Amino acid sequence: MKIDATQPLEYGTEENRNKIFGFWLFMGAEIALFATLFTVYFVLVDRFASGPSGADLFVIGPVLAETFILLTSSFTIGLAVHSMRLGLKKQMMIFMVITLVLGAAFLGIEIYEFFHYVHEGAAITTSAFTSSLLTLLGTHGAHVTFGLLWGTAILLQVRKYGLDHKTANKSFIFSLYWHFLDVVWIFIFSFVYLKGLM
Amino acid sequence: MLKQLFPVKHVVGYVASLVLTLIALVVLMDLPAAVEIGILAVTAILQASLQLVMFMHIGESSEKKSLYINIAFAIFMALVTIFGTLFIFVWGWYA
Amino acid sequence: MKWDEFFVTGDPLIYGAMVSIVLVSLAILVGLTYFKKWGYLWREWLTTVDHKKIGVMYILAALIMLFRGGVDAVMMRAQTSMPDMKFLDGQHYNEIFTTHGVIMILFMAMPFIFGLMNVIIPLQIGARDVAFPRLNAISFWLFFAGAMLFNISFVIGGSPDAGWSAYFPLAGIEFSPHVGNNYYSLALQISGIGTLMTGLNFIVTIMKMRAPGMTLMKMPMFTWSVLITSVIIIFAFPVLTVALLLMMFDRQFGTQFFTMQNGGMDMLWANLFWVWGHPEVYIVVLPAFGIFSEIISTFAKKNLYGYKSMVISMLVISGLSFLVWAHHFYTMGQGAMVNGFFSITTMAIAVPTGVKIFNWLFTLHKGRIEFTTPMLYSLAFIPIFTIGGVTGVMLAMASADYQYHNTMFLVAHFHYVLIPGTVFAVIAGFHYWFPKVFGFRLNERRGKTAFWFIIISFNVTFFPLFFLGLQGMTRRMYTYSEETGFGPLNMLSMVGAIGLTIGFILLVYNIYWSTRYEPRDTTGDPWDGRSLEWSMPSPVPVYNFAVVPEITKRDEFWFAKQEGKSLSDKKIEKIHMPSNSGKPFILGIAFFFLGFFVVFSWWTPAIVAGIAVLLTMAAMSFDRDDGYYIPVEEVVQSEKRLRGERV
Repeated sequence: MKIDATQPLEYGTEENRNKIFGFWLFMGAEIALFATLFTVYFVLVDRFASGPSGADLFVIGPVLAETFILLTSSFTIGLAVHSMRLGLKKQMMIFMVITLVLGAAFLGIEIYEFFHYVHEGAAITTSAFTSSLLTLLGTHGAHVTFGLLWGTAILLQVRKYGLDHKTANKSFIFSLYWHFLDVVWIFIFSFVYLKGLM
Repeated sequence: MLKQLFPVKHVVGYVASLVLTLIALVVLMDLPAAVEIGILAVTAILQASLQLVMFMHIGESSEKKSLYINIAFAIFMALVTIFGTLFIFVWGWYA
Repeated sequence: MKWDEFFVTGDPLIYGAMVSIVLVSLAILVGLTYFKKWGYLWREWLTTVDHKKIGVMYILAALIMLFRGGVDAVMMRAQTSMPDMKFLDGQHYNEIFTTHGVIMILFMAMPFIFGLMNVIIPLQIGARDVAFPRLNAISFWLFFAGAMLFNISFVIGGSPDAGWSAYFPLAGIEFSPHVGNNYYSLALQISGIGTLMTGLNFIVTIMKMRAPGMTLMKMPMFTWSVLITSVIIIFAFPVLTVALLLMMFDRQFGTQFFTMQNGGMDMLWANLFWVWGHPEVYIVVLPAFGIFSEIISTFAKKNLYGYKSMVISMLVISGLSFLVWAHHFYTMGQGAMVNGFFSITTMAIAVPTGVKIFNWLFTLHKGRIEFTTPMLYSLAFIPIFTIGGVTGVMLAMASADYQYHNTMFLVAHFHYVLIPGTVFAVIAGFHYWFPKVFGFRLNERRGKTAFWFIIISFNVTFFPLFFLGLQGMTRRMYTYSEETGFGPLNMLSMVGAIGLTIGFILLVYNIYWSTRYEPRDTTGDPWDGRSLEWSMPSPVPVYNFAVVPEITKRDEFWFAKQEGKSLSDKKIEKIHMPSNSGKPFILGIAFFFLGFFVVFSWWTPAIVAGIAVLLTMAAMSFDRDDGYYIPVEEVVQSEKRLRGERV
């Protein structure tokens, strides 16, 4: 395994560079996935039948909280990668733990929100609108959940093996994933919530 | 130490993303719908590019050309699917 | 649930199938035990990460699925061969045309192409393996899990019966209450994830693992076609993922996406399905174009005419493939503006495709043409595919389509596109690359006999359907009365179907015959080929290239042969190889059970299987296997042996 010392650890081997490149391609596929969910949502948004509409349902408070939490977690995972490149294992792990805690907080609010929606008479089975809304949010939430599991697995590996070209590569790819989830959320925030409240 | 752990680029990116979020909130006031959609589109696209460039370092990889093409194709496909479907079912529906 | 709801009962054909499944499974188990092949099977195949072996497994699976889909097809033709035929009832007929479509497209055409891709692409670009060998094994086992899940549906629970496009509301829980369409949503979902990963893997492989000096514009055409196909895959398959997810939610969790009340929109399914479905057509047909380009250029003994325009036309096709999907439902209710737009984009696709046809013809022009079996398939492809293309342009005209829509004319059209475009291509590629994998050619004389049977019978089977369609016979009708006058042409089509069956039996017999009697090839280059895969001994050693060649131009190997220079006379170094892994296989099994339990909404076992999936993935994440090295002496020895020198 040839290691190229002129590059950051995560780009150090050919395999690592391939993995990062491959993950960018995967995010292209994820863009297509969420675009399809947005398509479904935009087509069905006004078809709320006898159930509540977006304007009836959305409350800006928790949504803003979710947005700020996710933006902050995206910031901290960026800092984790930055520390990693400086070779600061402890700091990197701290930033990563903060990221995961923020992710869990986001998820907590989202689950609370779902209960609130169901309480307001907007279950996933109520209307085409609620089905598409909750599926879009749920898919994003499932990605966050998977991210929490994945991030924890990587954190354990960093603790066990330290920062080598493998763990660095995994952490970097995880950071890409996490930023991507933030990008998706920005579009949900803008074109689901704010547009619904307009 | 603090300066080392919190590089300016990241902090600026973070603050900018918070500011953009707050700007987007103006659509909650009563403005013409077209203006509001325009504001949302601009702030969302800026936010996304911010993440892509400042946090995800899309430009640092040796294949950045392929990555830009990949993202461009993904966005093309996303827009085609969204607007094509709206074209079929909403704007171009036989009524 | 009672046992007679679990197993499909009451049909002698199905009982026969059940008995034969049990017998074949028993025979395999007993055979493996008797010949003590369990260890061999596990070490050499189930755990392999070698792209060549994975390719062979794909092709083997595709051939089995070709048999299954072919039996479905013959049964359909038999049922419609005469007026008021009583061979199958309506329900059984519905199930059979559904499984025929799904299997032929997703479990035959795609894996066959993936098999050829797997075997050939690394060899053509001078790579030791694909970029992510273990992911490649995962892709295969997910595909296989999906295929098996789909196939057991006809004995356990009942097959999907709403057509391969599974339109709502028919495919919804209200009109299809049994589990058939749950199989559809889950089997396709699982194999679709595998397909997406294959797409990713091959883009990275082709973009990053080419031999030094091989720029993009020096790649063989098959490699180009696979690159572009993979790009289409990664942007089209997520749409299918979402569509199938929503289908599952609608059927099993009571959501309202495609229902007829509470705001649901059944037409949205058709829309999403074809947003994926049309690019899917190009996913199966572009690699075929690549295969034909290779074969035509090899056997015309000329370099490919218009290389650059070939690449550009494929890029244009890949872009346009995302812009035409509404032509599948012109009659659904959208306005003239929409239909006009999609008519134009659809007809526009004929332009780059036409460019390719002319390029092949100009490659043949003044060539020293050798009529080998793969070449015959390629030559037959050109005119037959053109008929398919021309009728496609007829269908593309929205106003005229109101006449043809959902008639046998359409059925004839897409068989005229997909059979020459994809099936002939994979058969041609199979004959062409067979010696590379197994070290001997398929017998030419027997291959040509099969070819003539297939080519003539194909036309006898499908040409009558154009006329039946124009006379008003709709697709998917399981019977008709004598007064319709559809009888004679349908009987003719049945005759053709029998001929096709004989053709495929001859093809398989040829594999058997050649294995036993065909002389072994010692040169590694039996066809006097042009691209890098022919520079290696056959069968190819596990590490592929002992030394990675340097590339200076297109068809490097061909010119090296002309100049009498060797591509492999550099110093041999130790070679890094990935280790085998059983985890992809285990993941496939876990996914199979996850899918199976979800089909029947057995949630507790489903959750257990889901946890098994996650744990297997976690085990892979914690795995720190770095592979192993093959030492220089071993490489030198094996190269000498493969090149026929005495060790």
